[in-house]
Amino acid sequence: MLEVPPLHIQTLLSTFQAVHCHGLEFLLLNGCHFCLDVCFQLDSIDPDLGDLDDEEEAWEEEACTIRPRRLKRKFLFHTDDQRKKKFAPKMDVDGLLDPENKRNSLTNRNGVHKSPGINNTKVGNAGARKLVIRNFKEVKRLSGAHEVLSWIDKPMKLTDDYLETAWKSLYEAVVAIQQSKPVSTSKEQLYEVVENLCKFKMAPQVYEKLLHLAEVHVSGSAERFLQYPLYLLLYRNVIQHCRETGDSETLLRIMDKAWQAHCQQMIMIRHIFLYLDRSYVLHTASVASIWDMGLDLFRVHIISHPKVQSRTVSGLLQLIEKERAGEVVDRTLLKSLLRMLSDLQIYREAFEHKFLEATDELYAVEGHQLVEELDVPAYLTHVKRRLKEEDERLLHYLDSSTRLPLISCVERQLIGEHLTQLIQKGLEILLEDERLGDLSLMYTLFARVKEGLKELCTAFAAYIKKKGRTIVNPSDAEGDRTMVQELLDFKDCMDSVVEVCFHQNEKFVNSVKEAFECFINQRQNKPAELIAKFLDSKLKAGNKEATEEELERLLDKVMVLFRFIHGKDVFEAFYKKDLAKRLLVGKSASVDAEKSMLSKLKQECGGGFTCKLEGMFKDMELSKDIMLAFKQHVSNMKNVPGLDLNVSILTMGYWPTYQPCEVTLLPAMVTYQNIFNKFYLAKHSGRKLQWQPTLGHCVLKAYFPQGNKDLQVSLLQALCLLLFNETEEIGLEEFKQETNIEDGELRRTLQSLACGKVRVLQKIPRGRDVEDGDKFVFNKAFTNKLCRIKINQIQMKETTEENESTHERVFQDRQYQIDAAIVRIMKTRKTLSHNLLLLELYDQLKFPVMASDIKKRIESLIDRDYMERGRDDPNAYSYVA
Amino acid sequence: MKVKIKKWTGVAVWKWTANDDSCGICRMPFEACCPDCRIPGDDCPLVWGQCSHPFHIHCIMKWLSSQQMAAAQLCPMCRQGWRFR
Repeated sequence: MLEVPPLHIQTLLSTFQAVHCHGLEFLLLNGCHFCLDVCFQLDSIDPDLGDLDDEEEAWEEEACTIRPRRLKRKFLFHTDDQRKKKFAPKMDVDGLLDPENKRNSLTNRNGVHKSPGINNTKVGNAGARKLVIRNFKEVKRLSGAHEVLSWIDKPMKLTDDYLETAWKSLYEAVVAIQQSKPVSTSKEQLYEVVENLCKFKMAPQVYEKLLHLAEVHVSGSAERFLQYPLYLLLYRNVIQHCRETGDSETLLRIMDKAWQAHCQQMIMIRHIFLYLDRSYVLHTASVASIWDMGLDLFRVHIISHPKVQSRTVSGLLQLIEKERAGEVVDRTLLKSLLRMLSDLQIYREAFEHKFLEATDELYAVEGHQLVEELDVPAYLTHVKRRLKEEDERLLHYLDSSTRLPLISCVERQLIGEHLTQLIQKGLEILLEDERLGDLSLMYTLFARVKEGLKELCTAFAAYIKKKGRTIVNPSDAEGDRTMVQELLDFKDCMDSVVEVCFHQNEKFVNSVKEAFECFINQRQNKPAELIAKFLDSKLKAGNKEATEEELERLLDKVMVLFRFIHGKDVFEAFYKKDLAKRLLVGKSASVDAEKSMLSKLKQECGGGFTCKLEGMFKDMELSKDIMLAFKQHVSNMKNVPGLDLNVSILTMGYWPTYQPCEVTLLPAMVTYQNIFNKFYLAKHSGRKLQWQPTLGHCVLKAYFPQGNKDLQVSLLQALCLLLFNETEEIGLEEFKQETNIEDGELRRTLQSLACGKVRVLQKIPRGRDVEDGDKFVFNKAFTNKLCRIKINQIQMKETTEENESTHERVFQDRQYQIDAAIVRIMKTRKTLSHNLLLLELYDQLKFPVMASDIKKRIESLIDRDYMERGRDDPNAYSYVA
Repeated sequence: MKVKIKKWTGVAVWKWTANDDSCGICRMPFEACCPDCRIPGDDCPLVWGQCSHPFHIHCIMKWLSSQQMAAAQLCPMCRQGWRFR
């Protein structure tokens, strides 16, 4: 009791005021009764243990002004030691002060709590403070009360017929209440009568009588409810009416009225018999509190009647169904009746079960129908609305215990049952159109049901694979060119879907990865090649669409695609070839971008993957240094032709292998080349230089009648052009003799000069292809807006050749790797069955291999005596040391 | 004269002069590196002895250091005293 927090006192106080306002005088009296007890106890608190703060004191004061005379009586109670002892432990002040309980008693719910915790043991401690009553006025008592009060002061002997007389007054009051008539005796008196009866140990008899009285009334009213002609008539009409119009509200209203009346009566009765309720009932386990007794009677006699119950419940269900169909219904009525059912504790058996069944049925039908009729987004919106409605229903009238089964029922019928259909029908379209909003809705709804996300995830992955396959395996060559860009866009799109709609769910993120990895590797080698080429196109000079940051971001994205590729060696081969071209021709857009790409690759695949690429950069830098030294060297020499020579010196292993070829250079060039050879070999002994004319390029000054131009051409193109310094017209054969260029190469070169975009030569006769016996003349009429013109080499054929040779090389490398891996494994295992060997190989090799290829390699290793077939088991191999 | 070379950017690949042969110690081609290295080139250079036999520098150093007496350091190919050229 000492720990009563101010909050409770506040609640108590406001409760009293509220009750006062509603004119329930006697409740106030009783309330004050307890209240003052509290007050008294608070006052007797040891000042050291807890101080009453101002608020509490103010309350104390107010309480006194409300009912001074009760206070006095209370005072008397506590002067009498014996009474106090008797009274104090019986008081369930704790329960009263519990705000929950307090509210219950106001909302006509359960009666008195049989709270075990009576912890007011410190009441009446030593050092009790004197109770000071401010603004106290003596009020004259009513005569009746006076009389009763006098019993308390002096010990009283009960006459034998006291029970009879007392009960008579009580009986009259109860009957009056039951018939909704005013009660003649004051309720305070009645209360005191009950109190006295209880004090003289007549509580059991009183309780018995009350029970009987109530039972008679309730069963009587139940009979009336069923049999009384008026009711019956009404009832029949109602049923008829219900059948005709589907309106069940009237019946429900009658039921509600009966219930409300019953509650009110029981409350009144309970207030009168409150003392009984709190003393006898509280201490006797076998009897129910008066309120519970009332509920019990109502349950047994009225609601348990099969007809009444079934009609009430079906009425409720009809009403709810109407609301679900979109009509406006009386929610307060529903709430009140459902509250009745749960108060009577038959909510679950009588209502919930049937309600859930009806819900199940309704939504099963609705689900099947709408899934067919509506398109997926509309259906999902509908489901969302339904769920919201049911939620509101729970909020407004259904018992909260129904939440779980109800919501899960709706989810199951509207979503769970149709998962596959919804996914099949809608997912692809939604993803195709990037309808993020609908997709998020789909995700949130599917997340509600079991297996929902799993199915969605599987379907999502399947969609990515399907769409990806069409990107990776285009029907024409055109598709190959745009493949990487399409893949990037697709990845972006899927990423944003996962991020925005699927809340970055890890499962979905992973499934995106897996799906990409799966479809990208379904076509061997080509995607890797195209990614390398895509990078080349982005890193090449002249690609000015992107700023550095954009380029950097793009590289990151491409790296994501690269990560999915299994055959990284194919990528490396093509990337290396393109990088070599960029470096040698000086076409690289920015060294920073190249370096950043390199570091990304290094991060992804380790130093082994990029060491050759790094070597290429190193070579370029070394070449620069060497050229600086060479220029100095040349400037000290005499008799040197004036030629600006730059040489890139490549280390064999780093660069792609180039076929050596010999061409006839101009004498001046040969001299210069020899000077360089001498210079270089003097610096690095033990080496030799092999020139690669196919990779060289020149800037030529060309003197045209229309103006002078700088021509940026390959070395071979330059050689052809330089021949025109001597003669006007040159035939194909002469070219061959003079330059010693390989036939196919020569034809392509001439074609690029005479038939390309920039025509510095004229072919006789005209035509697209260079034929035997064609002649070429210098194009005197050549004009061009630009001063510096680049003449592209014709690449087409070359690329296919290069392409094939690159693939060839990759496969060769792979064979060695397979050999090495097999020998490595066999060396550690000594003997191993074929299948286990394959397993380990797939584990070790970083590129896709076919079992048939591996078999060939094993054959070859057996031939070379690295291993042999098992002597006992032909399916096993053993290592030969 | 209608055309003149302003600038020439050439490309040359360097190789060891002993390229066609293989190292007498590790039996790897000189074009490739010794078994301890991963990348051929400057990082795994060749050396020639006075006897004109080339080896990977890593290979011959290992060989020389495995010889007991410093005086008896011989070329593994021709058993002449080894001296770097």
